[in-house]
Amino acid sequence: MDRPAWAPEDVEIDRPSAARIYDYLLGGSHNFAIDREAAHRAMQVRSDLAVQAQANRAFLYRAVRYLVAAGVRQFIDIGSGVPTVGNVHEVAQRADPRARVAYVDIDPVAVAHSRAILTGNPQATVVQEDLRNPRAILEHPEVAELLDLDQPVGLLLIAILHAIPDTDDPFGVVGQLRDALAPGSHLAISHGTIDSMPEAGQQMIQVSIRAGYPLALRSRAEVERFFAGFELVEPGLVWAPLWRPEHPDDVDDAPERASNYVGVGRKA
Amino acid sequence: MTVPDRPGVPYRFVQAWAKALHRSCYVPMSRAERCALLAGLADQLATALRAEPFDPAAGARVGAALVASDYTAPEVLSGTITVLHQRLLPDLGLAGEPAEARRTALVEGVAAGFTRAVRDRTLDDQEEIRLATTTARAEAERALRDSEAKLRYAALHDPLTDLPNQALLTEQLQRLLAEPAPDSDTRLGLCCLDLDRFEAINDSLGWPVGDRLLVAVADRLRELCTERGYLVARHAGDQFAVLVPGTSCAEDATKVADRLLATLAAPFHVDGHELAVTASAGVVERPAAGAGPTDLIRAADMALHWAKAEGGNCWALYEQPRSARDVARYRLSAELPGALRRGEFALAYQPLVDLRTAAVVGYEALARWHHPVHGQLGADKFVPLAEDTGLIVPLGIRLLEQACGQALRWPGERAGSRPFVSVNLSARQLQQPGLVGEIVEVLDRTGLPPHRLQLEITESTLVVPGGEMPARLTALANLGVRIAIDDFGTGYSNFTYLYDLPVHGIKLAGQLLRGVGRTGPGVSRTGHAVLAALVSLGSTLNLTVTAEGVETAGQAQLLRVLGCHLGQGWHFGRPAPPG
Repeated sequence: MDRPAWAPEDVEIDRPSAARIYDYLLGGSHNFAIDREAAHRAMQVRSDLAVQAQANRAFLYRAVRYLVAAGVRQFIDIGSGVPTVGNVHEVAQRADPRARVAYVDIDPVAVAHSRAILTGNPQATVVQEDLRNPRAILEHPEVAELLDLDQPVGLLLIAILHAIPDTDDPFGVVGQLRDALAPGSHLAISHGTIDSMPEAGQQMIQVSIRAGYPLALRSRAEVERFFAGFELVEPGLVWAPLWRPEHPDDVDDAPERASNYVGVGRKA
Repeated sequence: MTVPDRPGVPYRFVQAWAKALHRSCYVPMSRAERCALLAGLADQLATALRAEPFDPAAGARVGAALVASDYTAPEVLSGTITVLHQRLLPDLGLAGEPAEARRTALVEGVAAGFTRAVRDRTLDDQEEIRLATTTARAEAERALRDSEAKLRYAALHDPLTDLPNQALLTEQLQRLLAEPAPDSDTRLGLCCLDLDRFEAINDSLGWPVGDRLLVAVADRLRELCTERGYLVARHAGDQFAVLVPGTSCAEDATKVADRLLATLAAPFHVDGHELAVTASAGVVERPAAGAGPTDLIRAADMALHWAKAEGGNCWALYEQPRSARDVARYRLSAELPGALRRGEFALAYQPLVDLRTAAVVGYEALARWHHPVHGQLGADKFVPLAEDTGLIVPLGIRLLEQACGQALRWPGERAGSRPFVSVNLSARQLQQPGLVGEIVEVLDRTGLPPHRLQLEITESTLVVPGGEMPARLTALANLGVRIAIDDFGTGYSNFTYLYDLPVHGIKLAGQLLRGVGRTGPGVSRTGHAVLAALVSLGSTLNLTVTAEGVETAGQAQLLRVLGCHLGQGWHFGRPAPPG
């Protein structure tokens, strides 16, 4: 008999997990040997990988603070991963304790860990869903209970879209999410690219394919398409360190090393 | 943003440290928060450098504090050591051997405190992620169990009524039958329940109403059974089965059957229709030892058929001796589909004769089964079985096509004088929504003119009230097909349908002729009077009256005198193969 749609999948830890690799790159220890091996293999091709991960995370921090300042009080963080440090609810609730955050990840271990961390925080929840199934996310009872989708939402797609190949219709998926958001909502994206280092990028893609998690590193024009219909706030789509740095000192000499296009768009 | 210099800690030192740390790892802190943190730590170091007596533990506290603020990367430590070495003493305006020794001790303390804290955090993180993995696994396993339970539930329950299905019934029977020791005196009962004339409800009101009725019936049965500990299952279609464990005698089971039939007696309200439903039940009650689920279900099914045969709305208790005949019937019934595929059914034709002119005006097509073992079987041996199983529908249409095809080849002087063919149409066939269309197709395919086809339907068929049946008969009559009522005068129906329905003829049952048309003792005056009345009724209503079972010249003569139009029976000719 075929596995019915409502039957669960297995928890696999004999394969590296994107969430745990990312945790390792950020300096966390919420990972296993197999994740660290995968990270090391990738770093042989791209030694800057940790820089990229940190630049992502720093952008997330600044973007969330920007959004809270812009009046956004509810967030959906899809692809939230293993929460290491500087999670959205910590950042947002430090700025405004009323901020509510729904985390979404496909990785059951990441979700279980998030749930443990969020115990006792009624303003934050985590659900196990697939970005490619936006309806299931938006209509998830826990998300629906926590957030009011008639009010502006900060939708965070940090370092996740480059994990969705074109064959899975990422533009359609993000379009559905954009359409579901109320006016005044914001979309923050951080997306890996090979524009800054075509050769290493191509190698990186090959490594990712062999490792079983093919990366879809996209060009600037492609990343811009994810914001269709949204107005990019200043400074537009830029290298991660260049997006509203707190201080000129925070930007080093080669911001393109982050190899991440980031931006925040607003729904009119 | 500026942070005022602490006593003795210049802001440039804090800035240099902040810069070293910011480049080394990501920590979710604003620049101001970072500077405030480091200013505080620098303050502790400056205080320790100057304090008497010197307390080297301050270094370890600063190292641990960095880690607590998420500054955990190796570069945090190396950068901190460099900044402390190169800038701490000069920026504080300190110099000399004792100050350098104190600084070295503090740097050592920072390194040790940092490393220890990182190690603790790493171990904590590892524990957390393993715990998360265990939790996720347990969660997945629970979900899997849930889905297996769901799957199992779906496999063992009827989706419409949510009652246990045949599979679960069999499983439960198996369990009950397997439990007792062979010499145990545990007994059990099984009740098979079938709604009477459910087809007619489906047919007249549509299957969605029929489905909702089944749900309502299931609810009543469930209510009755659950509290008493009986298992009620949807057995098949409109059949339910109730398992009664722990009976002590047959009466225990038949009482349950009584209650089941009684609980269905109050009318059902479905979609604004008030539906009065009756049911029939077959009951088997026996010792649990030595029986199999299949035997038990078959026995209850057989008893159900007996109850149906008695007119429904009652139960029948399975008894061993009655079954031998039924087993044979069941075997035959099971062979029907194969026989249809193999084309073992054929037609025999019996002439219908004009009683005035003695001319053959038509033939009745009679179904025959050329059984490979039992030889030729008459319609009475297998048509009721085909009715029960529903096979009559494909069989009927197949035979109709044969009859039409063969009738077309019958000789006649001119088209108008060729004999018609009279074919029986069963109640079940009349309930088929597609019947008219199929008959039109048969006429089209064979090319038989509709007026040469007569369809015989039995009187009892017409008693089923409402539904699409009158409309179907009208549609058939409009095609030009003749409709005749078979076995007329044997049922207890009123004759109003003769006005309402497009009937062209009536066929008087052969038993009406019994004892009629003879001379001498045994002549039935009453029979004669009834016959005369029926012939007269038919003629008055302008119907062609056919007498069946005409066996003697005397009977033929009498019928002619009474004004009966057509005769059929051994006197005129026995059923014979075509041609």
